[in-house]
Amino acid sequence: MLVSLNWLKDFVDIDVTPKELEAILTDSGTKVETFETVNENEKGIVAGKILEIKKHPEADRLFVCTVNVGEKEPLTIITSAKNVFEGALVPVAVEGSILADGTEIKNTEFFGIKSQGMFCSVEELGMNKDLFQKEITEGIYILPEDFVEPGTELRAPLWIDDKIYDIELTANRGDCQSVLGIAKETAAALDTSFRPLNFVQDKEGDEISDYLKVEVLSDECPRYTARMFKVKKIEDSPMWMQLRLLNSGVRPINNIVDVTNYVMLEMGQPLHAFDYESIGTDEIVVRTGNTEKTVTTLDEKERPINEEMLMITNGQKPIAVAGIMGGLNSEIKEDTKLVVLESANFDKTSIRKTSKDLGLRTESSARYEKGIYPELAAEASARAAYLFEEIGAATPIEGFIDIVRVENPNKDIEIELDIDWLNKFLGTDLKLQDVREYLNRLFLGTELKDNKLVVRIPPDRQDLRIKEDLAEEVARLYGYNNIPLTIMSGDTYIGERTKEQRIEDLVTDILIGLGSDQTMTTSFIGPSKLKSYGFNDWEKTVIINPLGEESSLMRPSLLPHQLEVIAINQNRGNQEGSLFEIQKTYHEEKTDGLPSERKDLVLTEFGKDRSFYDLKGKLEEIFDHLGIRDVRYIPEGSEIFHPGRKAKIKVGDLEFGQIGEIHPATLKENGIAGPVIEAELSFDRLCELADETIAYEDLPKFPDSTRDLALVVGKEILSADLIDTIKHEGGDLLESVNLFDVYTGSPIPEDKKSLAYTLVFRHPEKTLTDQEVNEKIEKILNALSLEYNAELR
Amino acid sequence: MKEQLNTIYQEFLDEISKASSLEELEKLRVAYLGKKGKITAVMKGMKSLSKEERPVIGQLANDIRSNIENGLTDKREALEKERLDKKLKEEVIDVTLPGKKQKRGSYHPLNKVIKDLEDIFIGMGFKIVDGPDIEWSKYNFDYLNMPPEHSSRDLSETFYVDTTPDQEILLRTQTSSVQARALQENGVPIRVVVPGRVYRADEIDATHSPVFHQIEGLVVDENISMSDLKGTLDLIAKKIFGEDTKTRFRPHQFYFTEPSAEMDVSCFNCGGKGCRVCQNTGWIELLGCGMVHPNVLKQCGIDPEKYSGYAFGIGLDRMAMMKYGINDLRLLFDNDLRFLEQFKVED
Repeated sequence: MLVSLNWLKDFVDIDVTPKELEAILTDSGTKVETFETVNENEKGIVAGKILEIKKHPEADRLFVCTVNVGEKEPLTIITSAKNVFEGALVPVAVEGSILADGTEIKNTEFFGIKSQGMFCSVEELGMNKDLFQKEITEGIYILPEDFVEPGTELRAPLWIDDKIYDIELTANRGDCQSVLGIAKETAAALDTSFRPLNFVQDKEGDEISDYLKVEVLSDECPRYTARMFKVKKIEDSPMWMQLRLLNSGVRPINNIVDVTNYVMLEMGQPLHAFDYESIGTDEIVVRTGNTEKTVTTLDEKERPINEEMLMITNGQKPIAVAGIMGGLNSEIKEDTKLVVLESANFDKTSIRKTSKDLGLRTESSARYEKGIYPELAAEASARAAYLFEEIGAATPIEGFIDIVRVENPNKDIEIELDIDWLNKFLGTDLKLQDVREYLNRLFLGTELKDNKLVVRIPPDRQDLRIKEDLAEEVARLYGYNNIPLTIMSGDTYIGERTKEQRIEDLVTDILIGLGSDQTMTTSFIGPSKLKSYGFNDWEKTVIINPLGEESSLMRPSLLPHQLEVIAINQNRGNQEGSLFEIQKTYHEEKTDGLPSERKDLVLTEFGKDRSFYDLKGKLEEIFDHLGIRDVRYIPEGSEIFHPGRKAKIKVGDLEFGQIGEIHPATLKENGIAGPVIEAELSFDRLCELADETIAYEDLPKFPDSTRDLALVVGKEILSADLIDTIKHEGGDLLESVNLFDVYTGSPIPEDKKSLAYTLVFRHPEKTLTDQEVNEKIEKILNALSLEYNAELR
Repeated sequence: MKEQLNTIYQEFLDEISKASSLEELEKLRVAYLGKKGKITAVMKGMKSLSKEERPVIGQLANDIRSNIENGLTDKREALEKERLDKKLKEEVIDVTLPGKKQKRGSYHPLNKVIKDLEDIFIGMGFKIVDGPDIEWSKYNFDYLNMPPEHSSRDLSETFYVDTTPDQEILLRTQTSSVQARALQENGVPIRVVVPGRVYRADEIDATHSPVFHQIEGLVVDENISMSDLKGTLDLIAKKIFGEDTKTRFRPHQFYFTEPSAEMDVSCFNCGGKGCRVCQNTGWIELLGCGMVHPNVLKQCGIDPEKYSGYAFGIGLDRMAMMKYGINDLRLLFDNDLRFLEQFKVED
């Protein structure tokens, strides 16, 4: 919200610099986003009265003007502007003055005649030209006749030196959506006095009922007031009013509309003026459930409406969208004779919804959305009536229509405040007297009762309902930054990670140590993407209102996004890498009524020299660190993988992951160069399986006996199966068995492979003899030959 | 025999001076001291000597024998040293050639920030807890005192998975959703932080993403005051951005805290003088915080007259971007290896 410093000064004395005010307001809770001068550059432009205009003897399009700028001798100014006239008061940039864009003005000769400066447009003065009618901005800015004496510098009178504060209001401060609200905050923060407004004093009389009756049919309009006025003359509003509108970012239109906008800016209550004759009936009905399909608003746009929207109607058709924008059919015209002034309170949710559905947000709707207190409707109406008379725009028709459809439930609120509680809660040591003073500065009445303060809440402060609200009021006036810094007293707590969190850190460290980069990918995925990655039967956790089809599902697996990361990297020339991520996946199956979430670990290797075994090695390293033993790899798994290069990962019967080379067809479809190897493990299971106990075993006392066996078996035979047999036959004496070589090729037959193992035998209580070991080896070989047709090489 | 021994010794000295390898040296040892060696042969001939001569010659033979042994040892050491010197000379390497690559991976910068924060909070007695991303609307809004008509509940701001009235399921828009869960599950006193993923219906651009990250903090106990909130967060800011960091608190508004505040930290880039990073204000907005609203406590069955507490929330993506000077949020989600590998350093 834009707030003019000059306007603020109408209500409150400000004895600090604009920069200081910015900090004081921000520290007390009125956050200033930025503040700037209307125009910094402009300097020395004065008012001049045009005494005479003659054609330039040498140039058709130029005029030679004699201009009184308050000096003894008038100046000669040459202009090409057509909108100047004799007697006009205009801005004159005399020699040495500076225009808004920084140009310094010098005397210039035009075809033999010296021009002692130039006339200025709105833009050259540095005023916001977007807020003026086009006719004004295209020519020289003609000032009201008696605006200032010729020769007066215009910078101050035209408020070009004004500072504009852009203020970010919090959602609870509907009362601050006005110059008055900000002025109250300013007075409280600066601890200076506040000057209240003038209102019209209503006279007895009910002439208005001869013209108009109002009916409110919806609770979405808790209060509706109307006054009527006879227009004296529709014209420009006075400069003081225009400047206040301009520096609040609002376009001056005419003296009637300007008053409604002025009061809205000043008090925060949106008002609307109807042309009485255009209403077409003698009634106003506020209602929902209208049957019209569209309404044309003041901005000349035809807008689709529905029956849920609250409308101001003439009993037959809409004449305004309540609280948002007037209808074109009832707008103030140049020949308007009678004005109906609406000042009403509308339900914020209703306004928000309609504003959103129409895609139409206005100064008015924004104010209603934050919440306006109902009593303000009557106050603002009286204020507008005062201003209509004050500026001579209109005279009132006696009487005031005031319909209270819903009583304000929040009248006469009192809150008890215990100073001891307050100090304990804030960690401060404030005295009762100080607390009372802070509250009074905020226009909150206080009374001392049984050692507690009873605080009366005025109707505009809809945000104050409980003692904690008052604690904030006191704290912000005392200064948040004056509250001391302390650390929680009392018991000591031990912070720690859970087992799962520790394991997550451990696995992360292991993988980074092994050269993998940690990735972070989104939780969303789309059905077609899942399909392209080979997920034909995905689980559906569907977002009802996604940003797009491709982010409409919560991902059931971490694998697809890893492929996406590879695609991005290969596109950018990163041809190989190792990746991992520990994140949630989402599943249809419900946990306590919600789609279940699981934490998974995904690992990826890509690049031409990477193999299945590179990735499997990393897994094995993790399992070793976590004390997970007897992990088995069963050659089966998801269709995303190469049919012959995939495995399910199990401990006992518990499957907790998969590993495999991504199917070449999937890679091709997604434009990824292979090979890509991925593994996805249930991180939750991994944590359950992790056995972090370390059981020390005595070092062996007797020597081992080692044998190497090179076995020739069919290519389809799994090493794990051979090892199972070796272990089974080797019994307790077999301490370990490890593969140390795999060989295919001559002289091994084509359908066979050679696997070489080192077997270590040991007895805990004696040295094994060769004979004992040989017997074991023979048993093992017999079994291998029987079960797998294995031969010793 | 005496002369014989002297001659043998002379011959030995002569030969050893010519020996130039360890192999030749070994041959000499065998030739003189071996079972069939010259000295051994002489010693064998001692039997034929008289009783008087025997000790004299024996003494001489032993002396010569140990001289030969010493001579051999000295020569061996000299030759070994020579051989080693030669080998060392041959083995000279160019120490300026690059080391062998031992590739280590990198933390994602966001995870780095999360981990650092977790460690700081653990040091202050906080536990780390988690909650679901897909959440009941009541935890994300109702229990947090959010008005039923508030716009953040709209379909245009929040992603929904189920919109059945009173059973709405959504993607949590704030880690604050875990406040009520933690209070209900853990009770009071409580001191927890919740790092996690949150979702809002924003299109992705340089500063927005529909998926982003926050860390929520919650402390509830008897006698928790606003000064504790300030003291704790001030300490945390100093831990994150350095001991000289200053903090300031501005009044703000959140539905689930009262009083509420935003905390700014003095710009870590310019130290508060004003620069591009802080848009010349000297301050950087870091987090929102406040005293837990009594309605939130009541909703969780906690007596707000007895207990009080504070809560805060920090945007992690923005913090990671500020900390490392990353100018586009999308980089965090692209996972370009050239980006990731810049975060190898343990900072």
